[in-house]
Amino acid sequence: MTHIPIDLQYATSEQPDARPPIAALRNVFKVFGDVVAADQLNLSIAPGEFLSFLGPSGCGKTTALRMLAGFEAPTSGEVLIDGQVVNTIEPYGRPVNMVFQSYALFPHMNVADNIGYGLRQRRPRLARAEIARKVGRALEIVRLTGFEKRRVWEMSGGQQQRVALARAIVNEPKLLLLDEPLAALDRKLRKEMQIELQDLQRQIGITFVLVTHDQEEALSLSDRICVMREGRIIQTGDPQNLYDHPKSRYVADFVGTSNFIDGRVEHVADGVATLATPSGLRLQGAANAGLKAGDEACLSVRPEQIHMHRDAAPGSLPGTVHNRIFLGEHTEYLVQQPALGSLNVLAPRQGQPDDLSFQTGEPVHINWNPARALVLSPD
Amino acid sequence: MRIYAFCVYLFLYTPIAIIALFSFNAGRHASQLQGFSVQWYVRAFRNPFVMDALETSLIVAFVSATLASVLGTLAAVGLQTMRGPARAVFDGVIYVAIMIPGIVIGIATLIALVTVFDVLNPLLASLWFEDRQPPRLSMGIGSLIAAHTMFTMALVIVIVRARLASLEQVLGEASADLYATPLATFMQVTLPLIAPAILAGFLLSFTFSFDDFIIAFFVAGSETTLPIYVFSSIRRGVTPEINAIGTIVMVASLLLLIIAQLILRRRPER
Ligand SMILES: Nc1ncnc2c1ncn2[C@@H]1O[C@H](COP(=O)(O)OP(=O)(O)OP(=O)(O)O)[C@@H](O)[C@H]1O
Ligand SMILES: [Mg+2]
Repeated sequence: MTHIPIDLQYATSEQPDARPPIAALRNVFKVFGDVVAADQLNLSIAPGEFLSFLGPSGCGKTTALRMLAGFEAPTSGEVLIDGQVVNTIEPYGRPVNMVFQSYALFPHMNVADNIGYGLRQRRPRLARAEIARKVGRALEIVRLTGFEKRRVWEMSGGQQQRVALARAIVNEPKLLLLDEPLAALDRKLRKEMQIELQDLQRQIGITFVLVTHDQEEALSLSDRICVMREGRIIQTGDPQNLYDHPKSRYVADFVGTSNFIDGRVEHVADGVATLATPSGLRLQGAANAGLKAGDEACLSVRPEQIHMHRDAAPGSLPGTVHNRIFLGEHTEYLVQQPALGSLNVLAPRQGQPDDLSFQTGEPVHINWNPARALVLSPD
Repeated sequence: MRIYAFCVYLFLYTPIAIIALFSFNAGRHASQLQGFSVQWYVRAFRNPFVMDALETSLIVAFVSATLASVLGTLAAVGLQTMRGPARAVFDGVIYVAIMIPGIVIGIATLIALVTVFDVLNPLLASLWFEDRQPPRLSMGIGSLIAAHTMFTMALVIVIVRARLASLEQVLGEASADLYATPLATFMQVTLPLIAPAILAGFLLSFTFSFDDFIIAFFVAGSETTLPIYVFSSIRRGVTPEINAIGTIVMVASLLLLIIAQLILRRRPER
């Protein structure tokens, strides 16, 4: 059985960090015509943390990042960097650097000149030797030593990605902004670069702000994730906290996968809600704050929390295996339950001899620990 | 269909080929070929009138192409940052400027310059002390350069605009993000990337100015450019010398046009 323990002493990370934030958004709104791209954003970014904006396309992630970089001015509200309001400071005056999704390397410069670009803009001027030394060090960090004189368009996607990273980190910015930096890479390379990115962040200790719509990427890389929806930050927390304690169906759905069962709250007691489904079942789960009897709600159960049995157990529900996908370590089943519809079940293979795995069409009984289920407000 | 196309080409290029052929004719008469000779080229280069006209043409072409490249590039960069209806109007005006027949531009420029001179000359005269000769503005090399610059600037704008439009806006943002001021971004990123278009625009402008007869005819005043010289000497009959000059001008223009095309065709490095 996979256990994702609910650790109740996990600090809800929305509480302000004790250290002064390296950057912050205060009541930031951004309107494009009649599109609200940022809707009352409030956020403090702690020094050295790896923060991600996660959300579907068009939810305003890039807009939030571009306001930190200075490419967009907030319609109202304040952007702070290192304690100072920077609303009126142009991008070239801000101590932040950005890694663009398309890399935006300068095609008429070689690798070393691209990386040294930011250093060459410094006034008073840096000595040539100093620039060369820093560029060499940056190349070393991204493991591209020896590529100084290469033309950027002769390099592979992954190498270009690393040049773009080096070009940003060589300036030692207060904040490194990354807009879907890995989206253009193929799956395997993306995994490699994710690991490199994480190593890099630990090694140089710069604060990273990453934009992504890939929940796996956000979960594996970030110290903290802001889940966004239609211009708003709807929940902020560390990956495990978000996974275990989503505050809405939207977050539960976006962070990880889950089974949702719609119904109406019958009563709430001691933080446990009882949900009545339209088919007449009564299901229990940890109640989301603010839920009361009579509310529309839904029960969320993660696929790995559902257990399958050959024989009926107290409180188990009958079903049929509809589909089965072997994933190596796990097997994913689609179980058809007469009252609840299709449910995703993820069963670990651990300690299970092959002959114990379930076959398509086989009748099964499913149950889950009510303490591991959540009753959430639908949205 | 092939034969038809062949006829069209024959019709277009036979006269040109004949001019080139007869420029190497040893004899004086266009009626018969009398063996190969370069004497007409030598004669042309020894003719002080031809050399004078050539010098004027080269000066006008070089100065007007330079001015057009600088002003046209600045205009293109400015237009790029414009939005909305104003931009559409300016774009339209530029294409109109290219499409208007030379004769209209010639007459319009003549009238405009004469009117301006009529206003400015008395004004200048009144500013000078009575005992000194006031400068008088009149048609000449200045008006030639002005007229050619105006026309060829539109060419440069169109060419540079196309290149600017193909540049990714994100490069400018990346530069700003890396602490470059707008001027530094222009010098280090924009200019190097649009340089081929500017060079191509310069070459086209040079060719246009060097070959132009119609506009020059109206605004040259007492100056003689090479095309004007050719035109005026043709009235005394086509000599092989004129054929030689024509051939040289044609070859030089073709070369410049081909170079401009090659520069423009080269893929922007990616
Ligand atoms: N310059 C702009 N002009 C007009 N509307 C814009 C502009 N930039 C963004 N928007 C709008 O603001 C909203 C948020 O856009 P944004 O680019 O921030 O989304 P995103 O979360 O980054 O999406 P994606 O994952 O597709 O990149 C969208 O509806 C978009 O159409
Ligand atoms: Mg985006």
